[in-house]
Amino acid sequence: MTARLVVENLQVDGPDGPLVEPLSFHIAAGGVLCVLGETGAGKSLLAQAILGALPAGLAASGAVHLDGQRIDRLPPRSRARLWGRSLALLPQEPWRALDPTMQARPQVAEVYRLVGVCGPGESRARADQAFAALGLTGAERKVPAALSGGMAQRVAFAAATAGGAMVVMADEPTKGLDAALRDRVTALLRRVAETGGALLVVTHDVGVARALGGQTLVLRHGRIVEAGPSNTVLAAPRSNYARALIAADPGLWPAAVAPAAGNAVLTAEDLGVARGGHVLFQGLGFSVSAGERLAVTGPSGAGKSSLVDVLSGTLAPTAGRVVRAPAVGRFGVQKLYQDPPAAFPARTTLGRTFRDLAALHRIGWAAITALLKRLGIGVALLDRRPNEVSGGELQRLALARVLAVRPAVILADEPTSRLDPVTQHQVMDILGDVARHADMAVVLVTHSEQIADRWAHRRLRIG
Amino acid sequence: MAAAPGRAAGLGALLILFAAAIAGPDIIGTDPARQALLRTLETPSFEHPLGTDHLGRDMAARLLAGAEISLSLAALCVATAALPGVLLGILAGWAGGWVDRLLGVFTAAVLALPGLLLVLMLAAIAPGSWWALYVGISLTLWVEYFRFARARTQVLVAAPAVEASRLLGFGRFYLLRRHVWPDLAPGVATITAFGAATAVTALAALGFVGVGLRPPTAEWGVMMTELLPYWREAPWLILQPVLCLTATVIALHLAAGKIGR
Repeated sequence: MTARLVVENLQVDGPDGPLVEPLSFHIAAGGVLCVLGETGAGKSLLAQAILGALPAGLAASGAVHLDGQRIDRLPPRSRARLWGRSLALLPQEPWRALDPTMQARPQVAEVYRLVGVCGPGESRARADQAFAALGLTGAERKVPAALSGGMAQRVAFAAATAGGAMVVMADEPTKGLDAALRDRVTALLRRVAETGGALLVVTHDVGVARALGGQTLVLRHGRIVEAGPSNTVLAAPRSNYARALIAADPGLWPAAVAPAAGNAVLTAEDLGVARGGHVLFQGLGFSVSAGERLAVTGPSGAGKSSLVDVLSGTLAPTAGRVVRAPAVGRFGVQKLYQDPPAAFPARTTLGRTFRDLAALHRIGWAAITALLKRLGIGVALLDRRPNEVSGGELQRLALARVLAVRPAVILADEPTSRLDPVTQHQVMDILGDVARHADMAVVLVTHSEQIADRWAHRRLRIG
Repeated sequence: MAAAPGRAAGLGALLILFAAAIAGPDIIGTDPARQALLRTLETPSFEHPLGTDHLGRDMAARLLAGAEISLSLAALCVATAALPGVLLGILAGWAGGWVDRLLGVFTAAVLALPGLLLVLMLAAIAPGSWWALYVGISLTLWVEYFRFARARTQVLVAAPAVEASRLLGFGRFYLLRRHVWPDLAPGVATITAFGAATAVTALAALGFVGVGLRPPTAEWGVMMTELLPYWREAPWLILQPVLCLTATVIALHLAAGKIGR
């Protein structure tokens, strides 16, 4: 077997020292390499360094061979000529890489015409073939906004591989996708290897590595912590970090044990919501009781977030009503948000925000610091602004903020979907912990079936 | 802010300009209107550090008096434009609905008139009076504040951060103080600097074409008109108000910098 992609001592240096330390690997024809690691581990930089498209200010050293040819010393222009033809990158959140004003088929046909070097007529026929092969028939004339996430993903895949590249790199190909879509995307990627290509997948999703097989390389802070065949690494990780990363896979979380039935704190009666004349859901009736964790799942656009808005009282339902138990106070229903930095006043220090809260609710500062300590947050963080702390820390700060007012219900709208698996595990653990201790109900909106299965006591599917 | 040398330079230059405009006339102690018809178009000397104009008036005193007029009128204009502009913008962005539509129509009507035309109209009603210039320039400047404040407030009010604070029990005043104002402030500062530059330029332009302030007022635009006929005999004189105006506008633009980083 010939090695399609050989990387020797590849290193990426930033202005403040190395971001990716020298690493070497090779991928044979038909081979798959998964690079696992959290955000900031240098995974995307690795892919960009191979491509020769590092952000300004970063420099790569080491050797990259593509099908036996050394490419890292090529002038930028010749290197760019390889893009799409020999080496393709499926970017993160590919629907953002599509031209929003252009129909799907022309976007793909254009690649055949401009990169694959064939005439306009043939390029259309080839695009049609690709659409048929990817199950995209019917989507040819739609603009990206009219495509579902999965379809956009496949259109981007068709466009990325139209140039005939046999080495394909995918950067977080499953980010933001639900479980069903994730499986389709991994199946799509596996075809690259099955047809004799080489596949490099950069991901933080252990499930993707498990589904793709091949080799796995675990990266942390720009350094390889573990490497080997995927099933060996994933089944018996040797390093602490790899173990934590794999344990963070929601599929392996211990199942939550439902508490004895408590009093209902929040009840939805015959609830219906319409937005813009479009009925999202109707006739919805359920209740959550103290100490209970309810997971709300459903496809995107089913009205999960609208349901949360109605439960929190920020959106009036079109039908039915939400009843709070008498014991639930005015501030008894609180919310956690998907994007932690967006949930805090951006230009105010966190300490200021907490002191304002303490003053408003007459909470002693000692109680606040005790709360922060319990959630593992150092007081030093309070001098910073929201954009100066990590997402995981900020989500814990958001949790501390709502806990300070002693809510009876926490509505958590995808609170960990922007976090790394290890951080996600940690945040969900803490949320479960404090909810149990304070006998709080948690309504968790999630797109992860696994989290819903493992973490929640009860599930509600809408849409 | 440390990484913005241009901005620091602009702010420094402005500080010097303001200090000169406020303290300068007292230090020089010469009346900018005192004529000396036997000593016209003089080159700089110890007695008249920047020379004298065609009526023998001290150029340094006149330039400083001009700086005082330009900067104080500009400050007045941006202050009275910023206050209603920002407040109405926040109101429109916050309330939405008919309040927003009404204010939107009103600003569109103001925008439909080119700014300078509005000032010219008012100047024609009351020629040579400073209040006509002041009202006219303010009226053209406030729209920018309004549109900026409205657009930002709309985004902020719909953002999770405001919703979270509301759920936690914080009132309107808090939301304005901690969410809206800190977000608006840098942009308002930038608009103010650009607006002040516009006001200074407009004042000089109107003075130059003879519809702004009138002679013998020591205003930069008026001085340019007065000294223009002597540009061949005494080119250093006409150059002075031109350089003052240019320096002020450049300083204001540098101080405006970029919004955010």
